[in-house]
Amino acid sequence: METLNFLLQGFAVALTPENLMFAAIGAILGTIIGALPGLGPANGVAILIPLAFSLGLPASSALILLTSVYAGAMYGGRISSILLNIPGDEPAMMTCLDGYPMALKGKAAEALAISAIASFIGSLLATVGLVILAPVLAKFALRFGPAEYFALFTLAFATLGGITGKNQVKTVVAACLGLMIATIGVDITTGNQRYTYDILELYEGVDFIIAIVGLFAISELLFFIEMHAGEGFKKVALNKLKLSMKDIIQVLPTSLRGSILGFIAGVLPGAGASLGSFLSYTMEKKVVGKNGTFGEGDPRGVAAPEAGNNAAANGALVPMLTLGVPGSGTTAVLLAMLISLNIQPGPMLFTQNAELVWGVIAALFVGNLILLLLNIPMIGIFVKLLSIPPKYLMPVVTLVASVGIFAISNSPLDLYFMIGFGLLGYLLRKLHIPLVPVILGMLLGPEMEKSLRHALTISDGDWTILWSSGLSVGIWVVAITGLVLPYIVGPVLRRRMAAAQDKEHSIVD
Amino acid sequence: MIGDRILGIALLLLAVVYGWEAAMFPEPFGGSEAVGPETFPLILSVILGLSSIYLLVRPDEDEEWPHMKMLAELGFVLLVLAVFTLMLQPVGFIPATTLMVSVLCWRMGAKPLPSVVTGVGSAVVVYVLFNFLLELHLPAGLLKLGGGA
Repeated sequence: METLNFLLQGFAVALTPENLMFAAIGAILGTIIGALPGLGPANGVAILIPLAFSLGLPASSALILLTSVYAGAMYGGRISSILLNIPGDEPAMMTCLDGYPMALKGKAAEALAISAIASFIGSLLATVGLVILAPVLAKFALRFGPAEYFALFTLAFATLGGITGKNQVKTVVAACLGLMIATIGVDITTGNQRYTYDILELYEGVDFIIAIVGLFAISELLFFIEMHAGEGFKKVALNKLKLSMKDIIQVLPTSLRGSILGFIAGVLPGAGASLGSFLSYTMEKKVVGKNGTFGEGDPRGVAAPEAGNNAAANGALVPMLTLGVPGSGTTAVLLAMLISLNIQPGPMLFTQNAELVWGVIAALFVGNLILLLLNIPMIGIFVKLLSIPPKYLMPVVTLVASVGIFAISNSPLDLYFMIGFGLLGYLLRKLHIPLVPVILGMLLGPEMEKSLRHALTISDGDWTILWSSGLSVGIWVVAITGLVLPYIVGPVLRRRMAAAQDKEHSIVD
Repeated sequence: MIGDRILGIALLLLAVVYGWEAAMFPEPFGGSEAVGPETFPLILSVILGLSSIYLLVRPDEDEEWPHMKMLAELGFVLLVLAVFTLMLQPVGFIPATTLMVSVLCWRMGAKPLPSVVTGVGSAVVVYVLFNFLLELHLPAGLLKLGGGA
């Protein structure tokens, strides 16, 4: 009952004309960002943070704008999967399997419509799940002391590589780099200078928003140039939509199952949207695809991964909001937004900033509906945008990113930092060092060190406090499992995902 | 293989220097505590050191690195961004942006004329959008005529 009251209050926040407008703008921008190949959701949200920040939007509006972008990007990812056979982001990979064959059969419009409906169901159910689960988890998390939090932060890093992660050591390296960058500046507790080398600009530390934009957006530009991808890609033409009620009913059970699986994958640490869409696709194939229509343009093969990845995307907000521990790149970027608005996520968020949190959750419902309404009639416009070649698009995106960074404090130095991080991001990606743990390290570093300090102050310097409660031992066990398990099951899962892709290609060729 | 080995050596060096500096931090005002300013950095230094040794011992397959010409190209792109930053305040947003976007479009394979059109167009649109609609003031530079803000 209490939850429902909060939710109603949330709708009161989300439904003000101003916030409704931000949700709509976010939804449109997000769909565009998600649809353009190479501009994933993390990238898109990252570019928009400094803008939302320097516009001086109130916290709730800024968050509504950015969560709508996040939701929209998940919708948008499917457009390039279906029409270009190129996933806009990683979770949209599985949508290519049946979406592209459907488009080749002259049913592109149907594939897009079905995927929009499945995305809607996935997001909707997962938001309901978020409403139910988040307050419970937040209440539970109130029992966490500093030792548990320290373990939890470690868990976040350990599972970030995901169950399919290739080289866990590289995830650890990335996390260390991020945490090390976070230690630059004046130490909050003692006032000691650390790694500042008497450079005044470093006293306040390195701004993670600059780092995020540099690492993602600028390195992406370098990759586009290196791959000569300026010309764009060949896409399948859009036909006239012929969708009957029967077609929608046919994919409903699939969407429901996909949503539930996806939500679970999203909430669990280390799983994320990619695994969510993979699991729901493979399960659907086993359940209803016995006659071998999957992979040849079965509408259910489009619905399953889309419901799965949208549900997972919203599920991933549960640990981010309640524990302050994001499970994916994009939620990490959303966390960056919260921190720069001076909002500390975690269990207290639901009591101290109830209005804000529930406003955002309500905005997810509203944004989702806007997205469904946008995506069916206006799909033609989004498809047209896909034909803008990256050779014009990427420079303009780079410009918008730079302007955003410059506008934060009108300082050219910030831009040099951004360029430096762009080079770093390029090198790290070339060496297969994941970027998300670097970012997460910069974000969580100060809190992680603080919880270590608190824990050891309480125990008067006794390090065993870190694993002295049942809860913390449990978290450590999960963390260690998360770090080691990919070595055992990772190769098998990766081979299966690759096999599914290969089969797809042999059909298309 | 070689990529990861070089990375391993660089990271090991970083870990040692970073850890060494942490150990040299002066004792904080008010006496030392269980966790001082150096504790967390020291932990990080040890973890990074161990990981970099692992990379040295068991490196991954190399990604294909671009040849010299492409490296020069990428360096040029970074240079263009740096020149943009340098020009931004003294020369102004519109000329700096026109130059940056045009050159980037051109380097990504667009023909000169459409590149310049994109450059001028995006510069003017973003400038107008920011200065008048969003009220974030971008440097006008040389274009600032008379007493306008």
